[in-house]
Amino acid sequence: MKFKINRDHFANGLAQVLNVVGSKSTMPILSNVLIEAEKDQISLTTTNLDLGIRCKIKAEVKETGSVTLPVKRLASIVRELPNIDVTFDGSPNHQVKLSSGGSNFRIMGIGREDFPPLPEFGEEKAYTLQQDELNSMLKNVSYAQSTDETRYILNGVYFNFRDGKISLVATDGRRLAVVSKEMDVPAESAGAIILPAKTVSELSRLLDKGEKVKINFSDRRCAFQIATDKDTSGLIDNVYLYSKVVEGNYPNYLQVIPKETHQRIKLERELLLECVHRAALVCSEKANSVRIKLSSNLLEITAQSPDFGEAHESMAIGYSGPELQVAFNPAFIMDPLRALTKDEVFFEVKDDVSPGVFKTLDSFICVIMPVRLS
Amino acid sequence: MAELPLIVHLDADAFFVACEQAKDPTLLGKVCAVGGRERGIIASASYEARAKGVYTPMPTSKALKLCPDLIIIPVTPGLYSEISNKMFDLCETLTPYVERNSIDEGYLDLSICGFKTIQEVETAVKKLQVRIMTELCIPISMGIASNKLISQIASKLRKPKGFVVIACGTEAEFLYPLSVGKLPGIGTKTELYLKEQGVTIIKDLFHRSDSELESILGSHWRDVMSMARGEDTRRVETQEVQAKSYSEQETFSVDLKEFEAVERIIKRMLDSLMNKLRLEGRRARTLTLKIRYPDFSDTSHGQSLALATDLESEFYPLVKPLLKEVWKKKQALRLVSVRISGVDEGESQLEMFSQVEDKRRKLAGVLDRLNAISKDGVVKKGHQLEP
Repeated sequence: MKFKINRDHFANGLAQVLNVVGSKSTMPILSNVLIEAEKDQISLTTTNLDLGIRCKIKAEVKETGSVTLPVKRLASIVRELPNIDVTFDGSPNHQVKLSSGGSNFRIMGIGREDFPPLPEFGEEKAYTLQQDELNSMLKNVSYAQSTDETRYILNGVYFNFRDGKISLVATDGRRLAVVSKEMDVPAESAGAIILPAKTVSELSRLLDKGEKVKINFSDRRCAFQIATDKDTSGLIDNVYLYSKVVEGNYPNYLQVIPKETHQRIKLERELLLECVHRAALVCSEKANSVRIKLSSNLLEITAQSPDFGEAHESMAIGYSGPELQVAFNPAFIMDPLRALTKDEVFFEVKDDVSPGVFKTLDSFICVIMPVRLS
Repeated sequence: MAELPLIVHLDADAFFVACEQAKDPTLLGKVCAVGGRERGIIASASYEARAKGVYTPMPTSKALKLCPDLIIIPVTPGLYSEISNKMFDLCETLTPYVERNSIDEGYLDLSICGFKTIQEVETAVKKLQVRIMTELCIPISMGIASNKLISQIASKLRKPKGFVVIACGTEAEFLYPLSVGKLPGIGTKTELYLKEQGVTIIKDLFHRSDSELESILGSHWRDVMSMARGEDTRRVETQEVQAKSYSEQETFSVDLKEFEAVERIIKRMLDSLMNKLRLEGRRARTLTLKIRYPDFSDTSHGQSLALATDLESEFYPLVKPLLKEVWKKKQALRLVSVRISGVDEGESQLEMFSQVEDKRRKLAGVLDRLNAISKDGVVKKGHQLEP
């Protein structure tokens, strides 16, 4: 195999697949990227068996073929090469000669025979979305995923295609974020998957390459075809992301969204974020809560830790309901506020043991459970 | 004006026995002790019993062998803490700074009382001692000194009904002739070892070089020497230091060999411990079981939950595996103890998908309230019933 390639395009391609490597001890080949030279293009594939990524870059292919090389090392070498033109020359014993300007590298590879193939996709359920839309929906919910491995069902984002809309849901059992968008969902294609956290983060990173993204899924796995029509650094066709899904039943999230509204206030998102952020500066690991107090046209935020001190912030709001107080983990308030872009948010509360709810006008809901103070 | 000794250590004499005697004056002057019958231990012995060699904690069977006419008084639930509270309440009539160290022991800080002479201090403390005796029939010993350490050593010096005052500046003089065993932290074994090294009284320590002291006393020698000089900067802490763990134990009247029976008893103890925890608004994570075989050998084993809880039902699933883990020998059990630790208080993050837990908490709250009505409990769980 032999090809000539633009250094920056090659580096960009490797950067797309770089994060997906398996543990070295069990299968060394999973630390490698599969490089396949075809007509006018090379494709780069990495996998850790749960998740795989493939992208294609244009190249001047003189001789087709394939080889696998350690992806992390290769990427750092390619980035540092002195000349924009790079030639890649593979030999039958899986050694690769990489030349650019006066630099020459010889890299030991492994034959492609042992590289696990990415699964083929056939008649699964399929939907097409706008990349920027899906990206913003993911951003709206992904902070609420659980990182507690004992609750593996919650270690991901739930994609629910049903009732004429797609809903993305994430929860760690103490807060829950849901965002929905209306779309055509034929009855036979209705379904849901839990996308693992690692796949979510890779997907979010990839969703800025073009206009459309196509999702295929079955009960056990899913694939995303991410168009690269807006990319200017060598990517062609689609980036493919394959992933296993988290198997199991996602909790019934609808039941934890309060049905009734008790007290609803309209808040300036950035102002609230700044106030909570400042107040939380006095919190400690043991005293990790901010207290929110509502009284006539006033919202007060207080925080304290016994060994450090206390903070008091106040905001003028439109509120005429009864006086009430409730405490929350400050991150639970700040995370959704950071993920949103609208200037105004609605916040609904009832009492000190009932959940608080953030809402926006465009079908975003974030339910946060309070902290019970002693 | 010379400094005044303003720290008082109060130590009730043979407290449990004194409480029983206060309840039943016919026991006064008798050779008696509070403790478990046949298989239990002596929790507190009257001075008359102590004179016959009964000490705490001694197995009751041994005590009865030693002193066959010993009257064993069973523990009266609730009595001792009730009298203890009354005793400390009386102390608080003298000063608000009262540290309740244990049920029968505490410190008073008199610095805000405005005493001008050592006589005034003595008179006031003496009056308190007499008042506790006349109103509650509880004999106590008092030590008055410039700090906690000296006052504690002083109060224990002339029991019962001791009253020892150490003027400021005479601490070293007071400590020098005392045996090293009077220093807190020097137990019988260490005392014996020190004696072999030629250190009998506290003064002997000052005749040794630093390196000798280090080799005799080990790495803590500086702390021991600071105590020997009578130094102590600890303050009288009025705020109750809350328990770090909760435990209960039961010595069976006959050795138990049936697994299910022991499991039931453990759950019963767990119920009562978690009830206490809930009342104090606390939660805990770790359950530890200890068992004792008839030959008095012990084993213990513990396990923690991921999150602290105030519900016994969360701990139930741990009971069986833990008991299997500790009870390896094919022998009956003499005693089992349950300890709840990893106590957590303060804020608790509420959960979303916890309907079951919420219902259990509600139920536990209702049961707690119902069972508070009567001593024997109004509603019982299956394992709380005797088979």
